[in-house]
Amino acid sequence: MSERQTERLVISPEAAAQLAGCLQRLMTDSNASLTMVIDRSGRVIVAESREPRSKLDDLGVLIAAAYASLQEIARLLKEETFQTVLHEGLRERIVTETVGTKWLLVVLFDEQAQVGLVRVLVRRTASTLAAILELQQQRATRGYRPRPKPLKRAAQDTIDLLFGKEPSEPDRPPSR
Amino acid sequence: MALINVAAREIHGKIVYYGPGLSGKTTNLQYIHARIPAQHKGELLSIATEAERTLFFDFLPLDLGKVHGFTIRFHLYTVPGQVLYERTRVAVLNGADGVVFVADAQRDRLAENLQSLRELGQNLSAQGKKFLDFPLVLQYNKMDLPDALPVPVLDRYLNPMRVPRFEAVAINGIGVFETLRAITKLVVSRL
Repeated sequence: MSERQTERLVISPEAAAQLAGCLQRLMTDSNASLTMVIDRSGRVIVAESREPRSKLDDLGVLIAAAYASLQEIARLLKEETFQTVLHEGLRERIVTETVGTKWLLVVLFDEQAQVGLVRVLVRRTASTLAAILELQQQRATRGYRPRPKPLKRAAQDTIDLLFGKEPSEPDRPPSR
Repeated sequence: MALINVAAREIHGKIVYYGPGLSGKTTNLQYIHARIPAQHKGELLSIATEAERTLFFDFLPLDLGKVHGFTIRFHLYTVPGQVLYERTRVAVLNGADGVVFVADAQRDRLAENLQSLRELGQNLSAQGKKFLDFPLVLQYNKMDLPDALPVPVLDRYLNPMRVPRFEAVAINGIGVFETLRAITKLVVSRL
């Protein structure tokens, strides 16, 4: 099989530190309890939280899904996009802001934070995050390096073990 | 789009189970969730109607653990198969690194299978992906039913691309892990 590249985003350690720094500043300035950057599929790229949190994966997936629904509503309304989305609960609020074309910034805060201030800070942070992520995306596209073969081979062996086949056993060919 | 976080040493892939309504997409994920050891999976999240038809998606995170210092994770999704949810399927398909097309092997579902497969190709193309190059595996589900079409017939109509395909009876788990193994290995090979 030829080495066909899948589209990818590679986050370098330096970029991860820059992203984390942005989110920490945002969290401090806005008095938010959680800030995170997710892709449009809901995968968490980086997250900062005042307290340990579980189920961040689920949160990212559901927020991305809600956002995707809203984009379809925008399309029906012949609106270009909903750049900012605010959900208000009894205690918690969530602001979701677009970051570039492929990512979302999510900020979770309570009634102690001011919504107006949060929205201003979020919009400013989103521009900075977009610049960092788009640079990483361009580098990943330009400087494609295939994953080392030992990593791929080891990953495929792990898949065989986990999904019920001995690595040494050849894959059953599709039935004819 | 595969996510490779060098700092966190994580690799994430997204796999979408696609196909017409009631073909067995959710059944695949339910079986996988029931059988995978707890340390390798998260909760199965389903946004469904009261009648348990998928409304938005099912989501199952899988964690292969550490491989050469990298944690490899897969996010499995299903799409809603009913015709009226086409826009939702587009949204869920966005960013997919691989697709399992679950076809209902019954004779009277062939037209729906073809329509759904055609739609998948159109949606992938609209997202800038080449359908013939994209990691894709077919699953012919419900092969135990009396009116299931023979595999050569299903191949002729559904697999002119000659991608890997597997017979399945997902409700009993037959073919489920073979399919999952094939698509995850295909996605890994493209990283």
